[in-house]
Amino acid sequence: MLELSDIRAGYADVQILNGVDLALRPATITTVIGPNGAGKSTLFRAIFGLIRVRSGSIRFGAEEITNEKPARLLARGIAYVPQGRNVVARLSVRHNLELGAVTLADQSLVAPRIEAVMDRFPALRQHQARKAGDLSGGQQKLLEIARALLLDPKLLLIDEPSIGLSPNLVRDVFKVLQGLRDAGVTVLMVEQNTKAALAISDDGLVLELGRARMHAPAAQLLADPAVGRLFLGAAIEG
Amino acid sequence: MAQFLQVLLSGLATGSIYALAAVGFSLVWQAAQAVNFAQGEFVMLPAFLVLIGEHWLHWPLWAALLFGFALSILLLGLAFKRLIVQPFGPDGGLPLVIATMALSILLKEAVKTFYGAEAEPFPSLLPNGTFHVGGAVVSVRDVLNLLAALAVVLLLTLFLDRTKTGRQMQAAAQNPGVAEILGVDVARMTLYAFLLNAALAAVASFLITPVYLAKFSNGESLGIVAFIAAIIGGFNRIRGALVGGLLIGVLDNLTATYVTLSYRAALPLVLLIAVILWRPQGLLGDEEARIV
Repeated sequence: MLELSDIRAGYADVQILNGVDLALRPATITTVIGPNGAGKSTLFRAIFGLIRVRSGSIRFGAEEITNEKPARLLARGIAYVPQGRNVVARLSVRHNLELGAVTLADQSLVAPRIEAVMDRFPALRQHQARKAGDLSGGQQKLLEIARALLLDPKLLLIDEPSIGLSPNLVRDVFKVLQGLRDAGVTVLMVEQNTKAALAISDDGLVLELGRARMHAPAAQLLADPAVGRLFLGAAIEG
Repeated sequence: MAQFLQVLLSGLATGSIYALAAVGFSLVWQAAQAVNFAQGEFVMLPAFLVLIGEHWLHWPLWAALLFGFALSILLLGLAFKRLIVQPFGPDGGLPLVIATMALSILLKEAVKTFYGAEAEPFPSLLPNGTFHVGGAVVSVRDVLNLLAALAVVLLLTLFLDRTKTGRQMQAAAQNPGVAEILGVDVARMTLYAFLLNAALAAVASFLITPVYLAKFSNGESLGIVAFIAAIIGGFNRIRGALVGGLLIGVLDNLTATYVTLSYRAALPLVLLIAVILWRPQGLLGDEEARIV
């Protein structure tokens, strides 16, 4: 599916990723955990061609995709939902969705696909004429996910989807991700809410100091006392 | 009343030219965070390009206009972006502002040196003449200028709001990071904004030069007024720039007629100060310079 070998990348003089190896199994959810500054978001930006990979290689299926531009990666079936707010605030919900499909070769598919994602997220249909910036934080996040789904991606990179969302909405978002996985989409997620994220994940990846320290089934990471102490807040909770 | 109507209308006609320049100004600002202090010269130059076609190359007017329009887009759109704005990187800041000031001097002096310092007549594209409305004498050209400028701005907003390319331009301007991850070609959308600005400047040039004659110094006040109109209306709003331009045009004419001629140049500055004090985001603007 997605295979990273010895990825090194960073910003200007600072190298953040110091040789990350990772192979995702198809149709799984993998959650990346690790302390702040471990390079989780940087990893996503490197995969998605937003920062230059200095060495190493990224393969998607049989293809080499290292340092390809986002537009090209979208066409290959990789979508990315960054952390924070990422809607175009002054455009309507519907037009935001449309923007998710600008790279689609067959533009006649856009309208039916928008219908399909609005079936999946009825709130978006209800608010389709409103400006995206006027939606609540949770609705904006759903809009971003829906927009990423317009291209029918095979791989979804999603960074901190739960930030700023109410617990109910977090559950909704996680349900959507599980639904995608069941439909055959591979999901790679970074999430602060590590326990909840691992609970719906198949695999977990522990990233530390820009290296993959551990890559194991999520259940195993949840049960691992060392991981719990270091990354899941087990010590604090007793 | 009749006089008021006359003054109002000719104010709107002048204001609509300011508006064209201001709208282009705000387009370039939104797309590239570039404040173009050569905007006045961008309106001055296209008329001279037409005159070059007409008098030096001896082409018929329509060919000279086409030549002037195309060359304006090439020089003031493409070359301006590639040679002046782009080398300063995505956040040009003060050095870029100074570069556009230098460009304004360069364009002005180049026209003065290579074409001449005298005011040159410029062929009117619109019929002259007047008609009467309720005792007021109305210039046909004023009305047509106003209508033409409004039509251009209307077409531009329709393009930006109703077409997929237009909305990609909005996305690229409002949130380039998001546009990029969606696969929008941000660099191309930015280029479109520069080309549109050049087109707007050329249209403004062709409309206003028959009134004031073609002179190398035509851009001096126009550039400032366009800048102020964009700020008054709201720097991040196309409609704001339109309203700002029209407002300055009308108030300018009203002051000149009813108050005093001597202070008309100060009026846009007074307006600017008032807006900055009481409504810094501009009449139609949002609080943020750019919406995330």
